[in-house]
Amino acid sequence: MEQVKPIEVTDTDFENNVIKSDIPVVVDYWAPWCGPCKMAAPVLEKIAGEYVGKLKVCKLNVDEHRDTAIKYGIMSIPTLHIFKDGQVVGQVTGVTPNYEESLKKKIEPHLG
Amino acid sequence: MSNGVYDVIIVGAGPAGFGAALYTSRDRLKTLVLEKLMPGGQIINTNRIENYPGIERIDGPSLIQSMQKQVENFDAEIKTGCEVTKLEKLQNGNIAVYCDEENFTARAVILAPGSSYRKLGIPGEDEFRNAGAGVSYCGTCDAPFFKDKQVVAVGGGNTAVEETLHLTKYAAKVTLIHRRDEFRATKVLAEEIRQKANEPNSNLIIKYSTVATAIQGEGKVQSIKLKNVKTNEEEDYPCDGVFIFVGMVPNTDFLKGFVNLTDKGFIRCDCAYLRTSVPGVFVAGDCRIGATMQLATAVADGVVAAMMLKEYFRNPDWWSEPVSDSLAPGGW
Repeated sequence: MEQVKPIEVTDTDFENNVIKSDIPVVVDYWAPWCGPCKMAAPVLEKIAGEYVGKLKVCKLNVDEHRDTAIKYGIMSIPTLHIFKDGQVVGQVTGVTPNYEESLKKKIEPHLG
Repeated sequence: MSNGVYDVIIVGAGPAGFGAALYTSRDRLKTLVLEKLMPGGQIINTNRIENYPGIERIDGPSLIQSMQKQVENFDAEIKTGCEVTKLEKLQNGNIAVYCDEENFTARAVILAPGSSYRKLGIPGEDEFRNAGAGVSYCGTCDAPFFKDKQVVAVGGGNTAVEETLHLTKYAAKVTLIHRRDEFRATKVLAEEIRQKANEPNSNLIIKYSTVATAIQGEGKVQSIKLKNVKTNEEEDYPCDGVFIFVGMVPNTDFLKGFVNLTDKGFIRCDCAYLRTSVPGVFVAGDCRIGATMQLATAVADGVVAAMMLKEYFRNPDWWSEPVSDSLAPGGW
């Protein structure tokens, strides 16, 4: 399966890229010093490739874009939020067993 | 591989597992590494490794990615997201390894499941942890989220002291609670943290002889219930986050009833050859008796287990022999 690089989002373009998105969005809150985030990244690229056109995968660097991270109550990374119609409809914190499968299970109910 | 039987299955893809896999795969043994999460183990939480000989400085994920690539170059097979739930010694001497959805068989097994953060086991701990709502076991990872907030840290060992000092760089106020009236940490660290608390206008408070009994809040952590073990006095102590640093536990629950474990869950072995109580099953890394919980020793354990495994393949009866002077090529 093709791997697709997630879109890097910022405090400034979060509204346009995530909140106003026509399709569901997964936001990966991460930071360069976060080891588990780095290890989880390939799984997200795979998911981005698998659901092209149905799901947008974004990354938000919490060091550089603190305002958004604080607004959404992030206290631990990696955390993923699933957004639909501008609302958080799902969350995954940490890396869990069967990570890829459990992410898909969380995401799929929200796809149109 | 014949009839789908691996020569060796390694349980756990951390430094110990990769150390073992490197040697077995270079020996052209058909090697399978099973990992319940993703490659790395505890070391991926470390941003700065400076005590691995030959590498001046590296971060955990980069080192692990390199270890993984290295064993894959020698055709070791790695399956992630594959949690081992049970092992069984078969009549023919092979070992069956059961995962959630797949089963495997091997002539020998090297157990390298590592360790995890110990929990306090109090109400609220799992709920707030799983929700990412203010309970953490890693100061280095999560401290930046508590900039200008109030946090409580729990513990009294080296890690607790180091991580608490790290927290004081971010949080407005840090309260370290410890169940005893003095720290278990080495003198240098214990002195450093006492000094920090005694500084004028310090943002660190130490509460001795105190335990946590519950973590509370609506949707996120808002307070922790503390109890003084000498006076039995209880209080609701307001905070935005709780950091728990009370040590590590070996990931060996799935091995109960298969290999002999200590009361604390460490795998019993002879520390020279790393043989467990079950012939053909070796152990490597943090989860064994006598483990020093270091990156370099975990790798070394993996290598020892892989070398000794050849001894077992040559002669399965070797398993019950005592540690011998004549095992090394030239004896010793």
